[in-house]
Amino acid sequence: MEATKTDIVVVGAGPGGYAAAFYAADLGKKVILVEQDRKLGGVCLNRGCIPSKALLYATHTLSLAKESEHRGITFQTPNVDLAKLRAWKDGVLAKLSGGVAQLAKMRGVEVWNGRGYFEDSTTLRVETEEGQKFINFEQAILATGSKAALPKAWDLGNPRIMTSRGALEVEEIPENLLVIGGGYIGMELGTVYAALGSKITLVEALDGILMGADADLARPIVAYAKKNFKEVRLKTKVGKMSTQGKQIKVEMEVEGQKKEELYDRVLVAVGRVPNCENIGLENTKVTRDDKGFIKINEKQQTEDPSIYAIGDVAGGIMLAHKASREARVAVEVILGESSAFEDVVIPAVVFTDPEIAWCGLTEAEAKQKGINIEVAKFPWAASGRALTFDRPDGLTKLIIDPETERVLGVGIVGAGAGELIAEGVLAVESGLTAKDLALSVHPHPTLSETLMEAAEVFYGHPTHTFVKKKAPHPA
Amino acid sequence: MDVKLPRLGEGADSGTVVNVFVKEGDQIAKDQPILELENEKAVATIPSTAAGTVAKIHVKAGDKISVGQKLITLSGGGAAPAAAQPAAATPKAAAKTAAPEPEPEPEPQEEVSAEAAESVEKSNAAVAASPVIRKLARDLGIDLAKVRGSARGGRVTMEDVRAYIQRLQKLAAQPKASAGAQTKPAAESIDFSKWGSVTKKPLSPLRQVIARRMTENWNAIPHVTQFDDADITGILALRKKYVAAYEKKGARLTVTTFILKAVADTLKKHPTLNSSLDEVTQEIVLKEYVHLGIAVDTEAGLIVPVLRDADKKDLAQMSRELEELATKARDRKVTGEDLKGGSFTISNQGGIGGAHFTPIVNKPEVAILGLGKGAAKAVVREDKIESRMILPVALSYDHRVIDGGVAARFIVDLVKAIENFDEKLVKI
Repeated sequence: MEATKTDIVVVGAGPGGYAAAFYAADLGKKVILVEQDRKLGGVCLNRGCIPSKALLYATHTLSLAKESEHRGITFQTPNVDLAKLRAWKDGVLAKLSGGVAQLAKMRGVEVWNGRGYFEDSTTLRVETEEGQKFINFEQAILATGSKAALPKAWDLGNPRIMTSRGALEVEEIPENLLVIGGGYIGMELGTVYAALGSKITLVEALDGILMGADADLARPIVAYAKKNFKEVRLKTKVGKMSTQGKQIKVEMEVEGQKKEELYDRVLVAVGRVPNCENIGLENTKVTRDDKGFIKINEKQQTEDPSIYAIGDVAGGIMLAHKASREARVAVEVILGESSAFEDVVIPAVVFTDPEIAWCGLTEAEAKQKGINIEVAKFPWAASGRALTFDRPDGLTKLIIDPETERVLGVGIVGAGAGELIAEGVLAVESGLTAKDLALSVHPHPTLSETLMEAAEVFYGHPTHTFVKKKAPHPA
Repeated sequence: MDVKLPRLGEGADSGTVVNVFVKEGDQIAKDQPILELENEKAVATIPSTAAGTVAKIHVKAGDKISVGQKLITLSGGGAAPAAAQPAAATPKAAAKTAAPEPEPEPEPQEEVSAEAAESVEKSNAAVAASPVIRKLARDLGIDLAKVRGSARGGRVTMEDVRAYIQRLQKLAAQPKASAGAQTKPAAESIDFSKWGSVTKKPLSPLRQVIARRMTENWNAIPHVTQFDDADITGILALRKKYVAAYEKKGARLTVTTFILKAVADTLKKHPTLNSSLDEVTQEIVLKEYVHLGIAVDTEAGLIVPVLRDADKKDLAQMSRELEELATKARDRKVTGEDLKGGSFTISNQGGIGGAHFTPIVNKPEVAILGLGKGAAKAVVREDKIESRMILPVALSYDHRVIDGGVAARFIVDLVKAIENFDEKLVKI
């Protein structure tokens, strides 16, 4: 069969892949986008960011209804129609996925539905419904993403042992749900099921939850979990699991003590593994690191001169917006521009209740690396806006270089932190100083003021909080 | 906290550690000298920027270090004394608005040496600049770390990048002074021990700088040296008359002081000798100040500290300052600041001996005066032979800027000023 010739083939249509395909097409390249899933958008859109956020929003109403009682507004016990909730969520996904397909069409990006397999460094075989087809490409951008890890020992073929993918289908509201892993996925989905009424037991092997975030930012999340989950167990190792009727028997070791318990469902959220098996990488010069991720340089180039890799499959922080930026770098490098993924500020957001978000340098990282910093914090208990919607459990903090007063990092915990962090990203990425933030007028009453006031805390004169006088700053 | 090597002055961003004065466990005060650094300008003591206990010393004698490098780590100091004084909080000074130093004159030594660069501890943040500017820099191949940021916190703006590029263009247009030197055959190492025993000593950083500077000056400047003799019998008499009175005022009146005064006054009348050639703009820069460089012979080598505003100072003040500078130079206490901004240099070998010699102009100055040893000579005055004290003087000048006539008029005026030194200037 005659191979179809193209400038660029993009394998995988997640937020990295479709961004790369669109950008390359916008810059005049002939692009084929290969996706094995019928729906475009990848994990993020279909099995990750978007469905989880939809469920978090929908179920948050349940928590809000409960909370509003002390504000004098009561509701009848809400009724949850899971089928309808699922349908609404799936509607959101369909709309977005359809939108991606539409955008591809408008740009003349050909979308091939099927599994891609590298025959060699310039040929991709695609197994489509109409049979095998071949693409002869100048450059390939590999964006096959990652999937939730499910250790072999727990993979009993029982749908009651779920990864995030299964959990997002909300087939039922289990009475007792075990969440393994205190990272952001475990915390977000734990929050969804807790709001729906499940009794959550969250276990984490390490000594804390959300270990990437600074401890003071994670604190309100820990408090939330303690209040809304049945139990949070740290330093806990999960052993064997087995099916026992309609339940799962789980063996675990909690701080050295052995336990055996029954759960209606188990959510495994212990990390993600790259999708690079069975795609013919062995027929190319692409190499992988010891964790299986594809090795790339700062130009997104693999060891194979005609193949680039972006997003989760290339390792690093596994976030959609990191993949999208890498997509731009890869395309620019292919077009001969001097682009590189260097000094890029990648914000992180965890959509727990409250949300937590940070960008740039964290306090913990600065300590660990011995970087001299000053931290300026503004507690939301002092924010009028936070009080008006009854969520004073937030904190905005700036990590500042005391010599240049430059903002090196921003961390926020509180309702809507994910939206607020964008200003922090702009400040860190642009090398702004705390003074720049302090001098920019922020609208009142909004949460954005907490960034301005945190900057004022650094200079010792915030309006809405009082800074205990410190010794004069060395000149 | 860490004490890092501060910026010492233009062109002096690295050096060799001569001595470390502190050891681990020492309690030190702010501004206490922690080490002695020899660089191309001088040997300077580096003071501590904070008080505390020395927890760790990161450098040792012989290390080559550069600006920003960690010298010592202090413990306790930062927090303890601060906590001890319950000082009323001064809110942080109203923002350190960027007060960039004036652009240094384009020196063709932009790049920091590789070894200096790699040892500097880097903050993991990119250079402070907006993403657009960082992209532009990448496209143009400009290292933003070398661009002076003028916005708050040293942030690099588009104007800074523009100014930097313009500066690079000027530098590129400038004829390379060393271009000729580069074509010379590579130096060859000769085994002198074939002909007898030898001792080898490494060239000190100061010696290397002197060697480089002298070669540069010699290569770049078409030198002419004008000889003359000045009768200092009068000055010696004045000195004898007033030396005791000056002594009482703590000033050592020497012949050199008289000469300095005469030179300063004569330079005011001949501003071309007190100028510099701006090779970039092709302008002659006439200086309205007279800062005299005084060549001092030290054990380590030649050092030229600067006596400022010599035209505005009286003999007593000048005597005191001259002595101070010489002492500082010999004790290796001269700072980078002391060596900057000279407009004319005087090299006095009278204390050692010898007569006329041909000094090398100290770029970017355009002239230098060399003084030999004053000696009694038989001189014909009004048809009679007299014994007079005669001082050999030699003026080397940059013929690109100064023509022979100008130089001759200067030296004639100078000799007159020396021979007819006005007693009013000496009286105290």
